[in-house]
Amino acid sequence: MATSAERADDFIDGGLASFGIEADEIERAVIGAAHQLFWPGILELLSLDLGELELERNPDLSKAPE
Amino acid sequence: MSAIDLTLRGQAAAVASGEADAGELLDASLARIEERNPTVNAVVETFPERSREMLEAAPEGPLHGVPVVIKDEWPLPWRAQRFGMAEMLDEAEPGESGPYRALRDAGAVIVGVGNMHEAGASSTGNASVYGAARNPWNPERCPGGSSSGPAAAVGARLAAGAVGADGIGSIRFPAAYCGLTGLKPTFGRSAMGGHHMADVTTMIVSGPLCADAADCRLLGSALLGEGLAAGDPSGLRIGVLGGDVVADDVAPEVREACEEAIAALAEASGGEVRRVALPDLDASALAAVLIANGEGLGGFDPQRLNRMSPELTPLYRGFAKYRMLMPAAAMAKAARVRTAMRRRLAALFEDVDVLAWPTVPAVAPPLEAPLVDLPSGTISADEANVRGAGLANLTGIPGISVPVGLSGDGMPIGLQLLAAWGRDELLLDAAEALEGANGRRWVESVPPLAAEQTEA
Repeated sequence: MATSAERADDFIDGGLASFGIEADEIERAVIGAAHQLFWPGILELLSLDLGELELERNPDLSKAPE
Repeated sequence: MSAIDLTLRGQAAAVASGEADAGELLDASLARIEERNPTVNAVVETFPERSREMLEAAPEGPLHGVPVVIKDEWPLPWRAQRFGMAEMLDEAEPGESGPYRALRDAGAVIVGVGNMHEAGASSTGNASVYGAARNPWNPERCPGGSSSGPAAAVGARLAAGAVGADGIGSIRFPAAYCGLTGLKPTFGRSAMGGHHMADVTTMIVSGPLCADAADCRLLGSALLGEGLAAGDPSGLRIGVLGGDVVADDVAPEVREACEEAIAALAEASGGEVRRVALPDLDASALAAVLIANGEGLGGFDPQRLNRMSPELTPLYRGFAKYRMLMPAAAMAKAARVRTAMRRRLAALFEDVDVLAWPTVPAVAPPLEAPLVDLPSGTISADEANVRGAGLANLTGIPGISVPVGLSGDGMPIGLQLLAAWGRDELLLDAAEALEGANGRRWVESVPPLAAEQTEA
């Protein structure tokens, strides 16, 4: 079974390759660090239970919600 | 005292009354830039002839003849913004941006362009195509970002006011790091025309950075195109969080200074401190980052990313490429978090007038290693700072950072106040009440750089 680090490498390398995005060694290291920083939070966000929530469509951010 | 050392409103009053000559004031600001800018790298370009032309054409507005610095995020008729970058991925052309028009119509004189963090992408200000701006309180420390130059310029007293932009704390962070007052207005209330993301952003606003709240009121009124009238903050209900990282995972001296300031504000206004809860604040910070990143992807495509200038920092190049990999599902969830937080805040602002917590959890870190020591451990300043800042941009509410102390090593500490939509004036009123409560001690503090050279 792949480790978390291996899965991250697969995600990054596969994603970049799919887009045809090239990255040199330093950029690849930055991408790896960004992934390490953001991914746990993204997974938490995706599993966040906000309950029954009707999405505010095109919210007017200058005002309180309707 | 030289007129350039007066407050913004003091300069405006001195010019209006004839006590100060606007041409001499402009020359004094340019001379001050020449004298002190090598230390702080706050101003990346001056254009004395253009400034003098602005002055000659200046109307008798509220800022008549007053020099102001503007961030490298706004186009001017004679200069395209560079956004702190070696190469912008979006097109940039000279033009009349909203803040330029607002300043011109108020009679102000743009004396120079303020440095900024590359692409507005950090709270530190430690990377820019012009080289990092430096903190006037200690040039080895970060000035804050992304409006690093505007803050460093006002902190070093190169000018008494500057225009910044705040997409996720980019006015409030440098205000806190440089000991200034910085207002992030309610979304949509301040001039945004001409910004390269004006048509797509739901996060970025222009706003003032000044020594104190009254100056922010004056400059902010110009940027908002309406008078930010002073009111009475009596009986202020101040909401504070408990058991949350923005209130608890804070360097002890920052926490202590902010708690003292909150108590002083409550006492000065005859108000009270109420403990409140705001669930999912951490999720709101990430949601803000995701939405800001998504809105900035318009100019990105794989081929363009592969052609990025090698002069851009590796950090920018790498992160720009990573942004392409962020999942759409997370963006969609971020929009739901925005809805949830807006509704929670609307309910919360029925019970309190302002929310208060430290603008940043630790004072300005070293430029070379922008890490901060918090009770939870040592983390990057960016990771720490976004926690308490993203909410205002995510939801649209206004926020202000007010200086409330100095650390043991002489670096400024900032308290953030947040209010409901459209209550920007209340934030200024509260900030002024706080200034009064501490005898204006912190807004009148001057960095050693400014004090020594002024006395000399």
